[in-house]
This record gives sequence, C-alpha cells and structure tokens, in this order.
Amino acid sequence: MMYMNIEIGNEDVSLLQMSDSFFPTGLYATSSGLEALSQVKKLKSKDIFHYISTYLKQVVGPSDCAALGNAYESCMKKDLTALLNVDQSLYSMRLIEATRSASVRSGSQLLKCVSTFVKDKKMLKDYQKAVRNGNATGIYPVSLGVASWSLDISKNKAGLILLYGFTVSVIGAALRLGILQHYDGQKIIHELRPVILKSVLDNIDRSISSIWQFAPGLDILQMKHEAMSSKMFIT
Amino acid sequence: MAPLRIPRVGIGGPVGSGKTMLIEQIVPLLSANGYKVSIISNDVISKEDAERMKQNLATDQGLLPEDLVIGVATGGCPHTAVREDPSINLSVVEELESKYDFLDLILIESGGDNITTTFSPALADYFIYIIDVTGGDKYPRKRGLGIENCDLLVINKIDIAPYVGADLKIMERDAKIVRRNKPTVFVNSKTGRGVDAVVSFIIKDVLFDTLPKASKKVN
Repeated sequence: MMYMNIEIGNEDVSLLQMSDSFFPTGLYATSSGLEALSQVKKLKSKDIFHYISTYLKQVVGPSDCAALGNAYESCMKKDLTALLNVDQSLYSMRLIEATRSASVRSGSQLLKCVSTFVKDKKMLKDYQKAVRNGNATGIYPVSLGVASWSLDISKNKAGLILLYGFTVSVIGAALRLGILQHYDGQKIIHELRPVILKSVLDNIDRSISSIWQFAPGLDILQMKHEAMSSKMFIT
Repeated sequence: MAPLRIPRVGIGGPVGSGKTMLIEQIVPLLSANGYKVSIISNDVISKEDAERMKQNLATDQGLLPEDLVIGVATGGCPHTAVREDPSINLSVVEELESKYDFLDLILIESGGDNITTTFSPALADYFIYIIDVTGGDKYPRKRGLGIENCDLLVINKIDIAPYVGADLKIMERDAKIVRRNKPTVFVNSKTGRGVDAVVSFIIKDVLFDTLPKASKKVN
C-alpha cells in the first residue's frame, strides 16, 4: 500500500524529523550568548523576542541561511568544489572559537546521523568524506543544507528548519535559565513567525559573495560567555 | 582510513557521589600499569571538575597532558548529553581518536544526575555507576536504570557508613538481587580503598588484558 498524497509526502515527515529538537545535534547545549546576557541584565519576555529577532536578522539569516541556500544549490548542481567553498566561507566568518567549534560538532554529527539512513546520495557521501579528511569543516548550516537536499526537503523549507531550530534552541536555553515560563516561550515562537519567514525569503537565494553578518554586541556577549568560569551552556 | 576506536568507559552517578574523585584514583593506577588515558568531564554548571582533574592529574602529577582533560558543558541536561543526544560527547571522542591514536582508554564522566542515568552504547562501551552510603542502605533496593543496568556498581564513602546507619551487608545483598549478580565494588575514594578492584574490572572487561600492559612489557 502506498502512503502518498498530493498534499503530503515523505519529505514533509523528514522536515518534521529534522526540525524536531529531539533530532541529535547537541543544539540543546547552546544558548547563543543568552546565558552571558542573563548574568548582567534581568531579562523579560520582550527582551528574548528582540534578542532572537536581532540574531535572525543580523546573523542567522544573512550568513547561516544564505550559506545553507548555497550549499543546497551546490548539491543540486553536484558541484563539490562549490560546496567546500561555502563551507570554508561560513567557517571563516565565525569569529568566536566556541561558536565555531559547537557548530562544527553539531554539523558533523548531523551528517553522521543522516548517513545512517540515507545511502544513495553521492554529494552527502562526498561531503562527509571531505569532513572526515579535513577538507571541509562540516559547519552546521552547510551540513543541514546537504542533509535537507539528501532528504528531498525543499530549499526554502530547509531554511525554515535552520531558523526555527535556532529559535527553539534559544527559547529552550531561556526556559532552563529560568528567564521564561513555558507558555511565554511558545508565544515568542508564535510571534517570531513573520521574522523567521522574512529572514528565509530575504536570504536563502543570497549569493556566496554577498553573505554577511553584523552584530558586534552579540559577538562581544559570546566572547564574554567564552570566558565565564561557571556556565550551563557551550555558547 | 578511519581512526581506531578507543575503548570508552562512562562514569555516572548523582551529584556528590564521588565520580570525579573516583577518576582521580583510577587514573594513577591505570597509568602505573602502563595505560594512556584521556578524560572527558561533563559538568552541569561549570568546568570545575575538569579544571580540578587537569590541575591534579596533569599539572601536579604529570600523568597525562593537560589537553587530554576536556570539559563539556551540557546545557543543564546531563543525562541527555550521554544518552538521548550524545552528539557533542561523540564529537569530542572522535576528535581524540583522530589526534591521539596512542590512547588506550577514554573515561567519560557524566554530569551529576538522578538514578535514571545510563550511557548510550554508541558513546560508552562500559558503564560504571557510582552511589554513596549517605543515601542509606535502601539505595540499591530502590533500583533505577543506573543501578540496575550498569556494568559495575561502585558504592562509595564506606568509611562513613556507621555514622549514617548504612549496613553494607544489606547494600551488597540487595545489589546482588537487583543487578542479577553483576559486580558491585565498595570503595572509599578519598583513601583509595577498593579502587584497585575497579581498575581490575576495567583492565579485564574493557581492555581485555589478562595482565596489565606494563607487566606484559616487562615480561
């Protein structure tokens, strides 16, 4: 019996699987600087909204999402050289060692996991091999782009997975830091929907030569977090 | 070629049960027997344990290089980091395997957690669970995934058992029942009493050596 429908298909189930915080990428251990900020400022719900919103508009959208889009396109064109170039470009833009390292760890583990159930995609195999041989870093947004392409998830929806996953990881951190209550967290995710959508649509087709990020305040926060002696989160 | 898989021992247990101190006792004994060890320490809210072991075992005693003691933050989810989603720990293990192929063993300390802690078999080949007598002699009888499923149960702080009214014989009897005769070792990690038995289990059941590495070299 075929379980197919014109409105839903396997790729939609894959989309849910990849965007689920249960998917093993270690993102639950990152706060993206929120832990450092919570040490110096009493945060409220609206602060968390603005924090994530700024991150999406100034960092995750124009750099991570754009890199994911380029990685996806490289896979469609079967162009490994272009894919490795995207990998290197994004890696070189990560200013903070801890965030660079966490992203590489998450991305390489994502590739390993997906490779256990996707066996017929040469670009996935070649990229993973390049990571293993030290010719690529496996940085998370690029790995997610490759994995999403391998699972026939559309490029735009792959972008949504990235931005939604980032949002949930910061909300999760805020809950565990005691900044938010569980209803507040869901309300913020709901209110961020237009920001997430716009960030994806504005950036997913951005060329590799025009990716950018600019959030010096957030970079300084991440640096401060790196130097904290007592912390729950990797970043 | 993929790097060789280095044997891994996971050590879990509640906060304050003596995980770090057990490692501080195990490593010198393993080192004296010729084994090269690395330590990954998962901490819930700091890297204090990793820093302490780095200072004690690496800097002060010179038993291993400082960069072979690695602290991992777990986002407040110590059991997730070693069971449901061990991605970050696996990534650190793989990095060690690719950089330091001379290692004989990797010890992975979980963050302090509750009695349901277990290690993913993808992360650890052998699981040591440590509790102490201060919870009372009912502790093994109350079961829990960690106590029941671990390969070796270690019961620590036996020196203070009389002061907290814990009967070690009851603990031994109940552990045997709930663990279906899998081994249990009683130790005092502060003095090192009983720790040689833990090391013997590691050498025999994880490293599969009938004789310690150092004695084989001599012979």
